[in-house]
Amino acid sequence: MTNSINEFEDADLFFVTGTNTTAQHPLIGSRMINAVQQGAKLILVDPREIQLAGFATLHLRQNIGTDVAVMNGIMQVIIEEALYDREFVEKRTEGFEELKSVVSRYTPRVVEQITGIKAADIVAAARLYAEADKAMIVYAMGITQHVTGTDNVKTCANLAMLTGHVGRPGTGVNPLRGQNNVQGACDMGALPVVYTGYQKVIDPAVKTKFEQAWQVEGLDDKAGLTITSMMAAAQRGDLKALYIMGENPLMSDPDTRHIELALSNLDFLVVQDIFLTETASLADVVLPAASFAEKSGTYTNTERRVQISHKAVEPPGQARADWEIIQEVCRRAGYPMDYRSPDDILQEINRVTPSYAGITLDRVEKEFGLQWPCPNEDHPGTAYLHKDKFTKGLGTFLPCDFKPLAEVPDEEYDFILTTGRVYYQYHTGTMSRRIELLEREAPEAVVEVNPDDARRLGIRNNDRVELSSRRGTITLKAEITQRVPHKVVFSTFHFREAQVNLLTNPAHDPVSGIPEYKGCAVKIRRCA
Amino acid sequence: MKTLAKKDLVDVLRYWTGHCTVMTPGRKSHDEIVFDEFDEATFTLDYRKPSLPPKSSCLPQSETIFQVDSGTYEPRISEAKVLLFGIRACDMTGILQSKSFMTADTDDVFYRARAENLATVVMACSGPQNETCFCTTTRSGPFSKQGFDLQFYDVGDSFLVEIGSDKGAVLASAKGFAEADDEAARKRVELFRHEAQGRIALLPEVSQAMERLERGGVSEELWDKFGSKCIVCGGCTYVCPTCTCFNVADRHSGNGGGERIRTWDACLYAGFTKEASGHNPRKTQGLRIKRRHEHKLLYYTDRDTHEGLCTCVGCGRCSDYCPVHIGTIEVVKAIAGEQS
Repeated sequence: MTNSINEFEDADLFFVTGTNTTAQHPLIGSRMINAVQQGAKLILVDPREIQLAGFATLHLRQNIGTDVAVMNGIMQVIIEEALYDREFVEKRTEGFEELKSVVSRYTPRVVEQITGIKAADIVAAARLYAEADKAMIVYAMGITQHVTGTDNVKTCANLAMLTGHVGRPGTGVNPLRGQNNVQGACDMGALPVVYTGYQKVIDPAVKTKFEQAWQVEGLDDKAGLTITSMMAAAQRGDLKALYIMGENPLMSDPDTRHIELALSNLDFLVVQDIFLTETASLADVVLPAASFAEKSGTYTNTERRVQISHKAVEPPGQARADWEIIQEVCRRAGYPMDYRSPDDILQEINRVTPSYAGITLDRVEKEFGLQWPCPNEDHPGTAYLHKDKFTKGLGTFLPCDFKPLAEVPDEEYDFILTTGRVYYQYHTGTMSRRIELLEREAPEAVVEVNPDDARRLGIRNNDRVELSSRRGTITLKAEITQRVPHKVVFSTFHFREAQVNLLTNPAHDPVSGIPEYKGCAVKIRRCA
Repeated sequence: MKTLAKKDLVDVLRYWTGHCTVMTPGRKSHDEIVFDEFDEATFTLDYRKPSLPPKSSCLPQSETIFQVDSGTYEPRISEAKVLLFGIRACDMTGILQSKSFMTADTDDVFYRARAENLATVVMACSGPQNETCFCTTTRSGPFSKQGFDLQFYDVGDSFLVEIGSDKGAVLASAKGFAEADDEAARKRVELFRHEAQGRIALLPEVSQAMERLERGGVSEELWDKFGSKCIVCGGCTYVCPTCTCFNVADRHSGNGGGERIRTWDACLYAGFTKEASGHNPRKTQGLRIKRRHEHKLLYYTDRDTHEGLCTCVGCGRCSDYCPVHIGTIEVVKAIAGEQS
């Protein structure tokens, strides 16, 4: 997030898209609800009628996968009606003419054709967003999990820069990260292209810096593979071994049947996790890891806040903290890694990561954590980014054209399946499905079907239905609900008994490698 | 009546720890006040209303109630003796109300064992602990009238100590306590009570809401409005001194044995009332919120109130902690303010 969680209470307007916030980030959702009840406006762009729809000033239900067109349309109106922040655009950005030329094609009438949103609503949204003093764009996986995920994110940034809604409290572009430490994992370089703090592996100076820090030579200066490319390489036989930590791709990756083939094709698979997951069941070696309560360290949350977590109980059996396992593996492989504690590791992070330089154990302990960038020990941390100046200097508009879903419905596969989560279960259920109360609340996979579609197909509430894509078939219970629009069905990937990712499309974003979980073509029929 | 010099309190607490587990307020990291085992380093008398009521002393958040192994059954009935030092009168009333609710109709042996082994030392409040206190309305504070073993009144350098039971008399026989059964001490306590009561504003909307509920005059729209913004965290029930609903589950150990556990539950969850058929008599979040507040303000018996107004004890925690402001204060104000 460019901005901070507490700023939600003071914003004037939220532009919320691709996040079921009250279900997945309920405490952020509650801040939005409180702000709306105090007079803030809410523009919700979401195909589903989620809880926040009840608080929306405008609820725009776009056709799935048309987000670029929606926001281009809004920007077209903002430029056409001269509602953009002229001073901000002139002083702090570049590429305005290119943006203008691309979005000029997206008139409200054209956008209505693509997105299914009424032209008048596009105009209304544009005026509301541009005219608000403090407006926050808030998104989650509904924006990123598309073949156009990167384009979607760039377009969000274009919209914020065009209106100067960035670099001040209560503004910005705010992706809500899905896990307590997904921000931290990215910050620490658990990505194929960067070291900590997003220092690029292809940069020779960065390479030298880490070689010196770690007293080694010949660090790889080529970008690595994304998960989707790894699986493809494994299937081709180009990738021989995988070491998977805290991830359950056999449930969470798209087109799971192919994932199983890919993993089976490996010479060697190691899985490190707190429970024996579906993926771990395929492993040659399983390394038992300690859970959050059984180890100490820091997490970095969605607002870039580094927070401390103390060990509360000893790990069971042979389980150890991840860092201890990795260290032991490195030692056996011949590298004398020698950290004594999580604090040792944090001190190295401080030394090699400019944005984390001032985030010491002592400070995070005393100060309810610290938000990066925090370049030295006297720096108070950063509540919001891009004040006065973007990291790279001028903010560049990166206009994108609308591209459709990789797999659009046809005569046979005539529905769009969009996937997500429910409040009570977490990801592939490795943890949450072991909690009796959560299982009581959400015991099985359900597919949401619109009442008109259900009537036409002879499906009644709680009927078992068969859901098929070109990649597989699952059977699960139908919930008849207005929450989903016509010709769209929604389900979740929590349940091994009805693995929705057997159906999803592995087509992925060319830059980030993220698969298109949010839309693929399916057919649905009542089970005989 | 007894008296105890403040400087002797730590010695008394230390003495009591020789006889039972003593729970006291402690100032933990980031100034959080937590009731925890007595620890001289963190013990404090400068505390207001702790975030959580002391209900886990009788109903732990999660507990094993029995274990089975091939052919054997072993109930887990607690024998631990626990003393709660410094609880507030509202929470004392909560313990009393919960105890009769949990043991009178159906004897919950697991609960009763803990409740009977519990000793309570109330610290009378000299005024509101924060802006959400309304115990004078619910007649559950600022001092306790019954149920406590000892009640402390802070009168400066010393405490005046009221003895409420035989158990309390034994506790107050510890070194440091002195007799103070004189007219002056009684007057001092009377004055303390009178002043404390005067400092805590009445919340007339509580009785108004109770009357309205009794008449059936609350609109469904009011509940739906609260329901539409509830994020279903269940926090209001977890911080409530009188919410005692629990879920029961079996955990198999894999070799023919296992344990039955129970954990706190919340009527705010749809699954709490959902029936096997899938039908749910409380089918919307609004109806579930309605049910919760009716249980505090409408459906209770005089047996369980222990001279309180109802089964809300006015601690105000639900209003303190609900992220979207659906606490009892907000609810009774909305009901009382609704056009009839």
